[in-house]
Amino acid sequence: MENRWIAYLIPPFIVTLLLVAGSQFVFIQNSFYQDLGLGRTGTDLTLVNYLKFFTDSFYLKTFWITIKVSAIAALLTLFLGFPIAYVVARMKSKLAMFLLAGIVVSTFVTIVIKVFGLIIIFSADGVINKTLLNLGLIERAYSIIGTQEGVVIGLMHFTIGFSVLLLYSVVVTVPPSLEYAAQIHGASRLRVYQRVIIPLCAPGFVVGGLMIFNMCMGAFTSAALLGGGRVLTLPVLVQRTVMMEVKYSTAASIAFVLLVSVILINLFSLIAIRRLRSARLVVA
Amino acid sequence: MQTWTEKVILFVWCGFSYVFLLSPMVVVMGASLHGGEFSAAIKFPPDEPSFQWYSKIPTEQFEALALSLLVAAVATFIAALIAIPAALGLVRSNFKLKFAITSVFRAPLQIPAIVSGIAFLQLYYLIFDTSGLMLAGTIPGMLLGHVFIATPFLFGTIVAVLQRFDHRLEEASYSLGAGRWRTLYRVTLPTIMPGIYSGGLYAFMVSFADVPMSIFLTAPGFVTYPVELFYAMENDFDPSILASSSIVIVFCLAMLLVVQKVVGLETLLRSGGGSAR
Repeated sequence: MENRWIAYLIPPFIVTLLLVAGSQFVFIQNSFYQDLGLGRTGTDLTLVNYLKFFTDSFYLKTFWITIKVSAIAALLTLFLGFPIAYVVARMKSKLAMFLLAGIVVSTFVTIVIKVFGLIIIFSADGVINKTLLNLGLIERAYSIIGTQEGVVIGLMHFTIGFSVLLLYSVVVTVPPSLEYAAQIHGASRLRVYQRVIIPLCAPGFVVGGLMIFNMCMGAFTSAALLGGGRVLTLPVLVQRTVMMEVKYSTAASIAFVLLVSVILINLFSLIAIRRLRSARLVVA
Repeated sequence: MQTWTEKVILFVWCGFSYVFLLSPMVVVMGASLHGGEFSAAIKFPPDEPSFQWYSKIPTEQFEALALSLLVAAVATFIAALIAIPAALGLVRSNFKLKFAITSVFRAPLQIPAIVSGIAFLQLYYLIFDTSGLMLAGTIPGMLLGHVFIATPFLFGTIVAVLQRFDHRLEEASYSLGAGRWRTLYRVTLPTIMPGIYSGGLYAFMVSFADVPMSIFLTAPGFVTYPVELFYAMENDFDPSILASSSIVIVFCLAMLLVVQKVVGLETLLRSGGGSAR
């Protein structure tokens, strides 16, 4: 019986392995040839592209900006996503499912359309600028395009739908009875958050936060459109290096640096899950 | 029990999050009703609502939409052909290295789409150099890339459904005299169908919305809808884009409603985006 099911596994595994290994191997190999510009490459394997990446301040700055905007966006996304996840998870009516359905639809709509909406909202005579100007909080209209704040807002829109669904799956693992038990024993609501909800959700938050951070690190579309060529992140740099400078092996080396960083963060979050789980077992 | 202060805080906090989340889409739909002459400053709410821009959507946008729908549908179908046997084989068999095999199937989720995009482009160049066959800018080339990013979503949801599968159903089928294939078609597949539908919906939507992968695989006259929007936004801006975007938003809503009717919202959410990643 057992062998029969392995036979099902083999053809799809071969196809997937070919696609994964084939595509990744080719660009990783390309990244080790010297870039001669205009799509031409050298013939000897060398580390010159990587040396350039890690010594050129332009690349290092881009790397740093990518990490910075991703981290800020991930934290803010968790902050906005948690209340929705918590309220929906504790809701007893059918409304909860509709609220979640709204989130799911928002994850389906391509980020380009959402960036359109953001640009209209933040346009010179849009809602936000008019209000701020009337209140006298700003002197000139604020532009969202080409600023790091704009990129952060774009990255948040890219990840928030996913993060609500993720946090929802974390909150439903904490039974409401634990909250009641704490309150019966005299804990205030604030204390219930401090000592019950937050500690029990913390492992999920850490892992979820790392996943969202990872998504932001790899996010291209929102960063490209809202960065407007002035704020560059690694994914935007990869696309521009291919499309504008036609430097394939340089682009491949940047892409490989991005890939390795993302995989390292994934490994780190796997270790974090293990540690947090074992820590929780000790407490419980 | 929650106190009133807490309820108010949660309500305001939630409300803010929802406004943040949904406002761009509402604004796009509202601004698409922009009346009057073309102006670079698109307003929300519109001054004199009209549907004029809906009749002015250029044919390139409809062609791009058609290509996107075709690619997403075929890619989802091929992804299902890969993911269904893969999930069955993986959940039902028992061997070492299972973890490694699972990671290969889930790998495309870990790789940023822009990295996959440049990887496929360079793979296609290599194929071109060795065989003279150019896949970039063709439907098969585009499909291969989209199958790559869509498969893990189907794989993830089907594995989740199979792990809850009641084996007695199949044993009953065997003991009533049905053979292997009959049991597969009449018992196993119908039972995991909700997982296939909801995973398929996610796979379809991921493919339908993709920019970073497709942007490398397009060619002049061969552009998917999100990429067409992407370029339109970088270059010239016309309210007809808002009109076609609104159609796409309504389409996404309709797709959710259809799948919800077939499998129910709870299945859709339980097997949804969270578990797939």
